[in-house]
Amino acid sequence: MIRPSTLLAALALAALLTAGPAAAHQPRLGPHGGALVDAGSGHHAELVADGTTTVAVHLSDMSDAAVATTGFKAEAILVVDGKPVRFALDPAEPSRLVGTAPVPVPKGVKGAVRITAPDGATAQAKF
Amino acid sequence: MHRSLAFASFALALALLAAPAARAHDGHDHGAPPPPISTTVAPRADASSDDLEMVVVARAGALEILIDHFRDNQPVTDAIVEVDGPAGLVKATAEGGVYRLPAPWAEPGRTIDLAVTVQAGDIVDVLTTTLTLPPVAAKPAAGSVVMPARASDGGPAGVGDVLGGWGLALAGFAAGLAFAGAFGRRRIATAALAGLFLLGIAPGSPVEADEARDLAQRLPDGTLFVPKSSQRILGLRTLFTEIADHPTTVELPGRVIPDPDGSGVVQSSLAGRLKPPPGGFPRLGTTVAAGDVLAYVEPAVAAADVTTQHQQARELDQQIALMTQRLERYRQITNSIARAQIEDTEVELTGLKARRANLEKRERASEALVAPVSGVVAALAATTGQIAEPNTVVFRIVDPRRFWVEALAYEAHVFAARATGRPSGGESFPLTFVGSGLSDRAQAVPVHFAVDGEAKGLRAGQLLTVSARLSETRGGIAVPRSAVLRGSNGRSLVWEHTNPERFVPREVRVEPLDGERVLIVAGVEAGRRIVTGGAELLNQIR
Repeated sequence: MIRPSTLLAALALAALLTAGPAAAHQPRLGPHGGALVDAGSGHHAELVADGTTTVAVHLSDMSDAAVATTGFKAEAILVVDGKPVRFALDPAEPSRLVGTAPVPVPKGVKGAVRITAPDGATAQAKF
Repeated sequence: MHRSLAFASFALALALLAAPAARAHDGHDHGAPPPPISTTVAPRADASSDDLEMVVVARAGALEILIDHFRDNQPVTDAIVEVDGPAGLVKATAEGGVYRLPAPWAEPGRTIDLAVTVQAGDIVDVLTTTLTLPPVAAKPAAGSVVMPARASDGGPAGVGDVLGGWGLALAGFAAGLAFAGAFGRRRIATAALAGLFLLGIAPGSPVEADEARDLAQRLPDGTLFVPKSSQRILGLRTLFTEIADHPTTVELPGRVIPDPDGSGVVQSSLAGRLKPPPGGFPRLGTTVAAGDVLAYVEPAVAAADVTTQHQQARELDQQIALMTQRLERYRQITNSIARAQIEDTEVELTGLKARRANLEKRERASEALVAPVSGVVAALAATTGQIAEPNTVVFRIVDPRRFWVEALAYEAHVFAARATGRPSGGESFPLTFVGSGLSDRAQAVPVHFAVDGEAKGLRAGQLLTVSARLSETRGGIAVPRSAVLRGSNGRSLVWEHTNPERFVPREVRVEPLDGERVLIVAGVEAGRRIVTGGAELLNQIR
């Protein structure tokens, strides 16, 4: 007698309510020396900043295999010197998204990257 | 008749089970198993960082964003909030502590990634979250969501969804009628009455589910779901736990006593009649200075004493007369007697006159009762004309700025300098250790503490609890007393704020720390958030 929509909504809420602190993003060190976090449910993203204005995001799948970034779009929102900085990231070979920030970005920067796949699916990575 | 009652109660139970949660929150909990939770909450998503926690609620084509500080749950109301969503960057408008932005893209069935940039003073943070909107076709964007508890009930929950509270109430009514019919017509009336009663009890209708109402509720596992908006109404505040070394504390029963150096009694040293000084006796609470005359005692003289005194006076008068005559005579024959003889007589006469004068003075002299210290009249037993026995306490003077506390220690402790006193129902105040006695009194040793400064509302003889620090220390988490509550099983519990809208009860073991705080020694680790403000209200959520 339960409508599927109701059930789905209930499950969504159940998932929301049972999400424990374990879901908090705990960054670990990636192969390129940056913080490696989950980006959505299908990707890992590694943010590499080295104190210059160039910022790179390395994209990989859940088993840490590199993912080709052709056709991807991304936007970075980073907190630098107490101010939010926004800039676009463009695909680069082989599995990177590279952008130039208006100010130098230090290593270990905090912020988020919004990634749009070629099929329109979006994912977010919080660093 | 018994059977009819049984059917009525059976039907009532059915109706109660079907009653929507709105009613379940009314009235009291009588210890019966709680009815299944059934209510609606708007679709929501949350996120938290080291500094902030955020809840995003989709309601009627708009997003409401509520942001609080992560550690203490203090609302962040003056931030600049920008949201990166499907329509690009949108700045939210602040409105009564809630940040709103239009969200025409928040259509049912969509999953939306949001990056929320918050600039609140020194705190700048980017929070990411994913909002999942339930695919409800026939309803507005803020569609209904049934709590997992209800969904997991399986079949009956589904029936409840379709029929709603009214449906089951009617079913109960029908059941009552059917049973009554089976057992005799006379009981139809009773059963019908029960049914009508149920109609009154089972309120609401499933239509209400269209408008999503965020209700705080207790989930079947004992945890609480409290929407951010309710958290703000309840004024929930949290404490970020830290383990630190605190001095060991013991609680001792105590009693307020006046400082022996700052208080005094006024006693009469002789039996006599009390007489007010000019201006009358001081009243209770009058401020007096040391040396002020508070009363006079007119010595009462017994009849026998009066006779003796009169006799003495006559005798002295006689002797004075004789002595005066003798002196006159000697002075006339100065040449024939020794000069020394005249002088002796003169001295004798002077002595006699002094004795006579003294006797008269003593008859009238009254004793002045003076205040031995400056302070306030704390007790008085003076009435004009009253006869005071020697040693009667006529006044008690207390300096309200100088109180001590006498506590009883049942073990030999080494006290540190600091302590706190807490009268029942009053505010706690600081104490300083003065000294502890060695002689046993009622199997305990008296310990003296001085009250620091002027503690308001204290009175001599008041009973209180002294939290005295000892010289050794102990590790644990210090929390305010108000954070620790009694669970239904009588054990101590605290509420942990685990997720932005979720609270989990934690059983803890506590030990006394001081007047304001207790020490959690087991049950909670460091780095958790414990509800300190509004914990009592949280405990009432059913």
